Amino acid sequence: MIELKALTKHYGRTRAVESLDLSIAKGEIFGFIGPNGAGKTTTIRMMGGILAPTSGAVLIDGQSLAEHPVAVKRKIGFIPDRPFLYEKLTGWEFMRFSADLFGVDGDGFAGRAEGLLRDFALLNWRHELIESYSHGMKQRLIIASALLHDPAVLIVDEPMVGLDPGAIRMVKVIFRALADRGTTIFMSTHTLAVAENLCDRIGVIHRGVLIALGSMAELKASARLREGDLEEVFMRLTEEETGS
Amino acid sequence: MNGVLALLKPRLWSFRNGGLSRRAKDHRARLCFFSLVGLGFWLGIFVIFHRVLAYFKRVEGFGDILAFKLMSMVVMTFFALLIFSGVIVALSKLYLSRDLPLVHSLPVTPGEIFLARWLEVLMDSSWMVGLFSLPIFISYGLVFEAGPAFYLLTLPAIAFLCVAASGLSSLAVIGAATILPAGRIRTLAVFFGVVLVLFVIVAVRLLRPEQLMNPETFQSVAFYLQSLETPGSPLMPTTWTYDGIRAALAGRWGEAAFHLSLSFTGGLSLLAVNLMAAEKWYFRGYSRAQTAPTRLTAVPDPGRGWSERLSFLSPPVRALAVKEIKSFFRDQTQWPQLFLLLALIVVYLYNFSALPLDRTPIRTVYLQNLLGFLNMGLAGFVLTAIAARFVYPAVSMEGQAFWIIRTSPVALRTFLAVKFFVYFLPLLFLSELLIVVSNLLLEVTPFMMALSVTTVFFMTPGIVALGIGFGAAYPDFASENPTQSVTSFGGLLYMTICAGFIALIIVLEAGPVYAVFMAGLRGQVLTAPQWLWLVGSLGLALAVCALAVAAPLRFGLRRLSMSSNGRGEGDRPSAASRGRRGQGGNTRDKR
Repeated sequence: MIELKALTKHYGRTRAVESLDLSIAKGEIFGFIGPNGAGKTTTIRMMGGILAPTSGAVLIDGQSLAEHPVAVKRKIGFIPDRPFLYEKLTGWEFMRFSADLFGVDGDGFAGRAEGLLRDFALLNWRHELIESYSHGMKQRLIIASALLHDPAVLIVDEPMVGLDPGAIRMVKVIFRALADRGTTIFMSTHTLAVAENLCDRIGVIHRGVLIALGSMAELKASARLREGDLEEVFMRLTEEETGS
Repeated sequence: MNGVLALLKPRLWSFRNGGLSRRAKDHRARLCFFSLVGLGFWLGIFVIFHRVLAYFKRVEGFGDILAFKLMSMVVMTFFALLIFSGVIVALSKLYLSRDLPLVHSLPVTPGEIFLARWLEVLMDSSWMVGLFSLPIFISYGLVFEAGPAFYLLTLPAIAFLCVAASGLSSLAVIGAATILPAGRIRTLAVFFGVVLVLFVIVAVRLLRPEQLMNPETFQSVAFYLQSLETPGSPLMPTTWTYDGIRAALAGRWGEAAFHLSLSFTGGLSLLAVNLMAAEKWYFRGYSRAQTAPTRLTAVPDPGRGWSERLSFLSPPVRALAVKEIKSFFRDQTQWPQLFLLLALIVVYLYNFSALPLDRTPIRTVYLQNLLGFLNMGLAGFVLTAIAARFVYPAVSMEGQAFWIIRTSPVALRTFLAVKFFVYFLPLLFLSELLIVVSNLLLEVTPFMMALSVTTVFFMTPGIVALGIGFGAAYPDFASENPTQSVTSFGGLLYMTICAGFIALIIVLEAGPVYAVFMAGLRGQVLTAPQWLWLVGSLGLALAVCALAVAAPLRFGLRRLSMSSNGRGEGDRPSAASRGRRGQGGNTRDKR
């Protein structure tokens, strides 16, 4: 469903992402982890169409994002790490705005938007201006709006930042249910426990290069660890790379 | 005191490091441009005041009275400006700045924070008034042949006035912030400030100051001013400053020193009162400003019904248009600007109604149509000023939420086209209104009316497209106040190119239109070369107008498409951060 082919991004002489190749199947939850400045957000931004790659390609459902940006973006739900929204719109108006952009038909909109806002505990706030929302409420509104058009692919940058424990649990349940229904989820996170619990496969990026890829068992093997959690695997892998 | 100095250091160091910034080039270009404009303005003030004062000096009997009346008005106006600007700056520095949470978490007392911030308020709100008051007082010194001591005393007099004004402003803000949230005070302050400016502009214009130059009315006005010569209140800082400067001008040094001492101690006393008030109320007000707004009971919705009104558009286009309109009308900081715009239009049209065309030696019909022709350019410049405020920042107004557009299945071309039409339609209405009403007031010929209406119809899309295009090519999504983006390199480029575009259209039309007009006036028929000239020039003007729409939109689209989150070259790390990364250190920027 998602294919990254030799995806590269250079900022001047700095190599943020170097020749990244990845293939993620339909219905898979893929975790993307790495230290600060490793290239996670750059990769996510290229996949969301916010940033043009220096070279390489992003393919969603076999279509190139660079060649068919509008058609490809219609299949994507994008959730950024920081919830910047149009502060002068109400929550409901923002949902309507997203629906119109993504071609959600008018008849189905109201029921679907109400359901999502109820799921994310925002229904009672739907007619308030977004400027009066807390950080967590804005983040929940973004997630709700990203799911409005039932995307085939969900690209998520740090989904749990700013969310309370209840919301984190709810997001995990929703993501799992979406994946079970065939939605592909690409998620970058620093919360290693979330990645370990939720993701089918995990990729570790360091200094712009993918240094490890696989299930938890495969990652442990590549880190030459028999036991231990993802944190230990992560530390071992990144230390080895830094030391090498 | 060490705490105060430490708190001021980031400001000083940021200023010093300005040259290392990735926007240093932009900053330098802006600084050069505004320095030149400022110098021109400074010299203009000097020339005007010197001439007026020299003229007053020659008037027997009440020339000095007029000069001193003018000085008291100048001091009073400066004081009002200082107070107003002090209130706005103090609100921002003391309660709304983004760095305040960090500053308040530091181990310094609220008194030290207040004093450091107050010093910044004093500098930021006063430097411009101080700078532009100099040519006025230098003019007084030269015309009244004062010695060097006058200039030495005038400088501290102005400085003490600034201290007093900042003291009063911050005291007012501290008081208000204990009652109202700081955000609301800013809206109110800007609103009342703009209403005040609007009132002054309209009142001054309706007074018809040009009549002062009429010898028949001048004497009675002067006698009236003389009758108003009453001493100011001894409690007012303006009285201390005015009396001090006036005494220094007359060489009465003892008296001047006394008034300046009053001014100095008055300013210090106000600062002491401020520090006491800050100790008691500043943190409470700041804490109040941090509180998130409670749940709103009702959402103001001037944009209600726009979805229905625009239902003929495709859903994505309608969504963008409705979002644009609602965000604009719900942004309270836009409202005062709209009032100011209204005042500008009223004054613009009133000027045409007040023109003494019947008293001119040039034949009226010729002058009326000449003014009608030049009016097209003038309306274009007015439109450019309005577009610089509203259209150019339109793309930057997306701010950090621009990711929504970048990740949505809408082409950037559509996004820019919606922005263009949302601003083009009201501005076209406005520019045609200006042109038609002013031409009716001038009683121009039907030919000139038709030409003006048509020219403005084709020129307005160009002015708006230039604004959208350059705004998209040089966006500033990170700015706290995107409307200020017009003072950036891109904004200056926009205004310069826009002025060139308007001038080119006027120049292209001038020759053939003159030929047509004079032929009509003399009852002659146009010759074949004149027809050719007319068609060629108007065709070229039309082509330039079309180019002014297409080229900037394409340019803006290309630059915006190439940029990262719309930040163009800015997405590249600075030399400093490259260095850090090169050393393997962590950076705050996410990659």
